[in-house]
Amino acid sequence: MKKIFYLMAIMALLATTALAQTAALKSPGSRIIEGFKYEQFELNLPEVGVEVDRVELKNGMILYLYEDHRLPIVNVYGLIRCGSIFDPPEKNGLSGLVGTVMRTGGSQTISGDSLSILMEYIGGTLETWVRSEEGGAQLNVLSKDLEMGLKLFADLLRNPAFPQEKLDLAKVDIKNSIKRRNDQPGAITERYFSRTIYGDHPFGRILEWASVKTITPDDMRDYHRRFFAPNNMMIAVSGDFKKADIIKKFEKYFGDWKKSEFPIPPYPPVEFGYKPGVYLVKKDINQANIRIGQLGVKRGNPDKYAIDLLNYILGGGSFTSRLTSRVRSDEGLAYSTGSSFSTNSRDYGTFYAYCQTKSSTAYKATKIIAEEIEKIRNEGVTEQELKEARDAVINRFVFTFDNPAKIVQSLMNLEFDGYPADYFKTYLDNYRKVNLEQMKMVAQKYLQSDSLTYLVVGKPEAFEKTLDEFGAVTIIELTDPVLE
Amino acid sequence: MSKILTLLALGIFLAAGAMGQTGALKLDVKEKTLSNGMRILVVENHSAPVFSTIIKFNTGSVDERPGITGISHLLEHMLFKGSKIFGTADFEAEVPIMRKIDSLAALLHAEQVKLNSPLYQADSARYKAIKEEMAALQSEQKKYVIKDELWSTYLQNGGTTLNASTGNDGTQYFVSLPKNRLELWAFMEADRLDNLVLREFYSERDVVMEERRLRTENEPWGIVYEALGATMFWASPYAWPVIGWMSDLEMVMREEVEEYFKSHYAPSNAVAAIVGDVDAEEVFRVCEKYFGKIPAQPTPPPVRTRDAAQKGERRVEIEFDANPIGIVAWRTPEVGHPDLPALSVAANVLSSGRTSRFYKNIREKKLGNVSASVDNSSRLPSAFYCSITPYGEHSFQDLEEAVYAEIEKLKTEPLSEWELQKVRNQIDASFTRSLESNLGIAFRISGSEVVTGDWSHFIKLQEQIKMVTADDVMRVVSKYLTKSNRTVVYIVKTKSEAAPSAALPSY
Repeated sequence: MKKIFYLMAIMALLATTALAQTAALKSPGSRIIEGFKYEQFELNLPEVGVEVDRVELKNGMILYLYEDHRLPIVNVYGLIRCGSIFDPPEKNGLSGLVGTVMRTGGSQTISGDSLSILMEYIGGTLETWVRSEEGGAQLNVLSKDLEMGLKLFADLLRNPAFPQEKLDLAKVDIKNSIKRRNDQPGAITERYFSRTIYGDHPFGRILEWASVKTITPDDMRDYHRRFFAPNNMMIAVSGDFKKADIIKKFEKYFGDWKKSEFPIPPYPPVEFGYKPGVYLVKKDINQANIRIGQLGVKRGNPDKYAIDLLNYILGGGSFTSRLTSRVRSDEGLAYSTGSSFSTNSRDYGTFYAYCQTKSSTAYKATKIIAEEIEKIRNEGVTEQELKEARDAVINRFVFTFDNPAKIVQSLMNLEFDGYPADYFKTYLDNYRKVNLEQMKMVAQKYLQSDSLTYLVVGKPEAFEKTLDEFGAVTIIELTDPVLE
Repeated sequence: MSKILTLLALGIFLAAGAMGQTGALKLDVKEKTLSNGMRILVVENHSAPVFSTIIKFNTGSVDERPGITGISHLLEHMLFKGSKIFGTADFEAEVPIMRKIDSLAALLHAEQVKLNSPLYQADSARYKAIKEEMAALQSEQKKYVIKDELWSTYLQNGGTTLNASTGNDGTQYFVSLPKNRLELWAFMEADRLDNLVLREFYSERDVVMEERRLRTENEPWGIVYEALGATMFWASPYAWPVIGWMSDLEMVMREEVEEYFKSHYAPSNAVAAIVGDVDAEEVFRVCEKYFGKIPAQPTPPPVRTRDAAQKGERRVEIEFDANPIGIVAWRTPEVGHPDLPALSVAANVLSSGRTSRFYKNIREKKLGNVSASVDNSSRLPSAFYCSITPYGEHSFQDLEEAVYAEIEKLKTEPLSEWELQKVRNQIDASFTRSLESNLGIAFRISGSEVVTGDWSHFIKLQEQIKMVTADDVMRVVSKYLTKSNRTVVYIVKTKSEAAPSAALPSY
């Protein structure tokens, strides 16, 4: 036992030295490419009123339009304010079912089956869904089929039928996925991490058959009445169409749809109530699935830019990150390791670091990740690391707008999520402005190493050492879900 | 007509008038073969100031043999470890250290052989001592190593979709960059092909073993697919998994990977596809400048080994802690065979979309979920697959019967004209859609070129699929999807002891 500690200490030391030297090391290749000259090109930032049009119909429906005639296709992508976050606990699963059955069940004038026959025959797609904080609908057709496609799209959103038989079918799909939820270690890790962090908040809920089976077509119709309305909806259209013409079509198919009088209900707030510690989910596998994290920040946090760069350096920047460098490359402990720090969540998102490693190195990998979190918190980052992270974010920005759908959807998403319309104008400068002081400040402020949750799925008997030094251990036994 | 002119003027895609009633578009691919035999394919698409690239080698797990299974994939990992001038501050200083590590690895393997054998007395103290010495040398080498410099260079220069993948038939390296980084790309890629150094090999081998645990050993579908290959193929190299057998990964040596690299990564065995906001002539010039200087060498020989015809159904049951799933697969011929288009239609009609037969007759009847696919572009004879997830109390065997019933119908009842036309329309629409993605185009043309020597093979296959008749489908389904030609692999859930109720955190 002593020996392991001693070795760990040496290894930690070596790693530090190696890192310190890396900053000073230079490869012959990097000297060559320093001499490369890159012809500058103007990045065309798409803007509302210039490349993209924003149109509001009388009933409050907002359209974002971007014409691009290079290929004979049109993509229509809508977002609706709703989500499983509003599902009452006893109807958990309702939102997901609404999203599925809206499409499979069809409308009051055309059945879901007929809709499939039409769409599949023309090689188009029409889909609907509801996630935790929004609903969505997408139509993608060749431009010759746009009129028919848009008519069906509108009909589905406005007059869904929610027939019992398609609801039953969707329930069977969910029942099957509940039955299989303990089959894949990655999915178990995700589920229990959310559970330990968010507790009884909708983000922490686990879908159970008991609530799903009670959901009725009337529940779905109520849901549709409450949330699906033109003033709760934005639609982005890109591709081969004429603006004037498509506005007319939207007026024709959506213009007489009445505004909703139901306000969007208040969002249940996330609370910092989670109990840090070690949570072991027991499964008979030969690899431990490790996720270490805590609650993070909300959208609109002014430290977003520094946090993004911090996460890039810690574990978000794929191979150049500290975690990959140590856990994967130096130690060969994991294929996949890194970190995630959400800065775009409406309410508190999560920070977490992760890896999967063989049972006999579960402790070692956990220890190294914990050390790296502690280290970046105490020491901040180097100038070189900050520069690399900044360059990466800035230089890849051009890919945000590299196809028509991304151009129009990026702009619409800004409004949908409540960002200012000129968000992208200051975006790069905000990253450029981040300095080392701020990096250290955000690391200390947002990485609270004493309140981390350690969620590990695996076979604790096979770990080389227990994980109790990281906190009080709670064992979670996987049980067969109740499907009665 | 004015539309065609616009397209031409933009220099993006050439519209071909006579390609079907949807006014299908045609890819304008420009080709060049460098003096060393490396092939370059370019598609110009000036819609955004970016480009995507793929370099694909005609080298995959089919080129391996027992003992070195997984070596193509391990080599793919090693191509991210730098070269003589990247990833190191002093390559010359690393060489003696790597030599020592290699000789220790050889000693370690000799001990490993003893550990694995009942015939020898293993010396675990010696084993440990060698391991520690190796670790010390690895730390010594780290003084010179600059970690993952290829990645950090690409990322700092705005690179996205950076990665690589290995399959049975090929290995591909890809990245997308802002348009002004063409020369950087050619320089970095040519350098790793010309000056590769397999540094940090033994820790990377550990990484691959973790990848195997992650994707195969603890993942139900991974387990099933691995067993399927080993059961369906006795002689063919498709019998072993791309990631390799664990016992081979434990023992494969750095020198073996280096040797494999030298013999298989011949310029004439590679195709580069560059798609995006580039000028084709400029791409050819830059490629000749950087890739052209890599010396030519013989192209590795084609794989010889084939399986004899299958004589009788093969079944395998695997015990694992997961609910039942499984696959039924029937052996089918290799790329270019005239029966593949009709088999592709059969797969589409069975499982593509909500109007498909499996969806209507299996999923909507709440029996389970089945999807069908056929490998229609593989170098060696491959398979037609049905992957099966039973629902509720239905057993895997129940689902198998339902699948066989649908297949029997295909043998005796002709497809409707509606179903055939649906397949044709979907091909046209999805081809049009695919032209939106630079990387997607690069994948398709490089894939076709590497396997068949003709980048447009995938388009020809699409045209052949559109010509398939109802009789063709009845004939090929009767010919291949038979009991004696099929292999069935499925998971049986191991019984876990009754556990107490879950201790869920709640507040």
